[in-house]
Amino acid sequence: MVALNIQEIHKSFSIPTVKLDTVREHILNSFKMGKYLRNRRELRVLSGVSFSVKAGETIGIMGRNGSGKSTLLKIISGIYQPDRGAVQCALPITPILGLGVGWNPELDAIDNIYLLGTVMGLTLRELKTAKDEILEFAGLQEFSRLELKHYSSGMAMRLAYSVAFRAVRGLLILDEVFAVGDREFQERCYKRYEEIRQAGHTVLMVSHGPAEVERFCDRAILLEGGKVVQEGSGQEIVRAYVQLLTSEKAS
Amino acid sequence: MENRFINNHRNGAYLPGLIWTLIRTDFKTRYHGTLGGYLWALVKPLFMFAVLYTVFSVIFSMDPNYNLNLLIGLFLWDFFSEATKTGFLSLQAKTFLLTKTNFPAWIVVLTSASNALITMSILGLAVCAYISIFRRSLSLLEISCFGLYIFIFLIIIIGISLAGSVLFLRYRDINQIWELLMQAGFFFTPIVYPLDIVPHKFHFYLYAWLPTAVIQFSRSVLVKGEIPTITAHLMLLGSASVVLFAGVALYCRLALRSLERL
Repeated sequence: MVALNIQEIHKSFSIPTVKLDTVREHILNSFKMGKYLRNRRELRVLSGVSFSVKAGETIGIMGRNGSGKSTLLKIISGIYQPDRGAVQCALPITPILGLGVGWNPELDAIDNIYLLGTVMGLTLRELKTAKDEILEFAGLQEFSRLELKHYSSGMAMRLAYSVAFRAVRGLLILDEVFAVGDREFQERCYKRYEEIRQAGHTVLMVSHGPAEVERFCDRAILLEGGKVVQEGSGQEIVRAYVQLLTSEKAS
Repeated sequence: MENRFINNHRNGAYLPGLIWTLIRTDFKTRYHGTLGGYLWALVKPLFMFAVLYTVFSVIFSMDPNYNLNLLIGLFLWDFFSEATKTGFLSLQAKTFLLTKTNFPAWIVVLTSASNALITMSILGLAVCAYISIFRRSLSLLEISCFGLYIFIFLIIIIGISLAGSVLFLRYRDINQIWELLMQAGFFFTPIVYPLDIVPHKFHFYLYAWLPTAVIQFSRSVLVKGEIPTITAHLMLLGSASVVLFAGVALYCRLALRSLERL
C-alpha cells in the first residue's frame, strides 16, 4: 500500500527586494508600479519533486542546506501549499519539524505538554494519562512546574520530542531529530524510534547524518537544487551525498 | 497539474481539547506575572465607567438611566474593541505553533476572543444581577434577548477577526489603522451620550455601525424592558451574517498563502 505519493511538486517564493510589510509602504510603492514589479524576484525552491513511500517504510532525505528539504517537509505536512503538483497521503501525519517545535515560554512544562499535544492531535484524555510518561522520557519530572523560559535549549527540545514521539499517528516526519540532546537522550530516541518502526509506522526523515540514514532508512533520496537527483538505498545515497559535499569543497 | 493536498484521515476528536487548551493558555498567559491577575480585565472598563460617569453625569443629569446605559455601553464596547484587537494579532501571536504543525488555523482566531468574552460575561451577569435587585426583575425573554445580542456581537467579532488576522500578515500596520478606527468608533457609537441627542435623520448612519445596534438593543431590553421588533432583529442578524460571510470569504482566500508569511 502506498502511504504517501508526491507528484511533481513545484514551489517558489516571491521575494521582495524592497521591504513591503506595511500599508504605507504598499501605497508609496504603488506610485512607482514598474519599479515595484521589478523589485520582486522569484526564488524557486522545488522543481518537480516526485516520489512515493510505501506503508511501514522509512525514507531518508539528504541534501545540502538550501536544497529544499525543509520546504518539502512543510508541504507534505500541509503547512505550505505547493504551487503545482499533488500530495496524496493515506495516513494521518505527525510532523516534528526543526528545532523549535513550538513552545509558550511563559507556561510550565505540563501546560506546554497539553498545548503541543493537543495541537499534534492528542486528546485531553490521552494527554492526562501520558504526561508523566512524557516527562519521564525527557528526564524532566523534577522541572515539570518550571516555566519553559527557564529551560536550557536542550531541555526544551527533549520535552518537545518526548511529546511528539507520544503523538505519533500514521506517518512520522522527522527533521534533524537525532541531532538533539546528549548521547543518553539520543540513545533513548533511537530506541523509541525503533519501537515506532516495529509498530509499523511510516517514516520520512531528513538528516545530514550518514550513520542515521544507513542505520534506519530502507530507502533514501538525494535533493539538490530543488530536484530529486538520486534515489536508492541508504548507503548509496550517503555515498552520493558525501561525494556532493567533497566536490563542492574541491571546487 | 492542479495543486492539491489530500489528507482527510486525521479525525477531529482532538479539536475540543485543542480549543479548551488554547482558551486556557491564553487566559493564563494574559495576566501571567501581574499582581492583580485577572482583576485587571474587570478593573479597566469599571475604571473607565467611573471616570466617564463623573464627567458626563453632570451634562446628562436629566436621564435617570444614564449610569446604567453608560455601563452597558462601556462593557459591550470594551468586549468588541478588545476581542477584535486580539483577533487581528491572533495568527501572528501563534507563529510558534502554526509554522511547526498543521492544524486548522481558524481555531486560533476563534479562541482569541475568549478572554474578552469571559470578562464581558462576568460584567454582563453583574449588570443583570444589579438590575434585578435594585431596578426591576428581568424576564427570561429579556435575558434571552440579551444573550442573543451577545451571540450576534460574537458573530460580528469573528467575521472582523478572521479578515483582520490574515490581512495583518500582509499589511503589518493594519492593526494600527483598526485601533484608530476603534478610537473614532467609540465616539461615533452612542456610549457616553444618549442616542436621542442626535437628530433622528442621522440614526440610520449610527445604526449602520453594528456596535450601535447591539448596544442600543441591549439597553432597550435590560433597562427599559422593551424588546425591539422582529424586523429590527432580522436586520441585525442579517448584517452580522454578512460581516461573518465576508470575513470567512477573505480568510479562505488569503489564509493559505498568508500563513506562509509567518
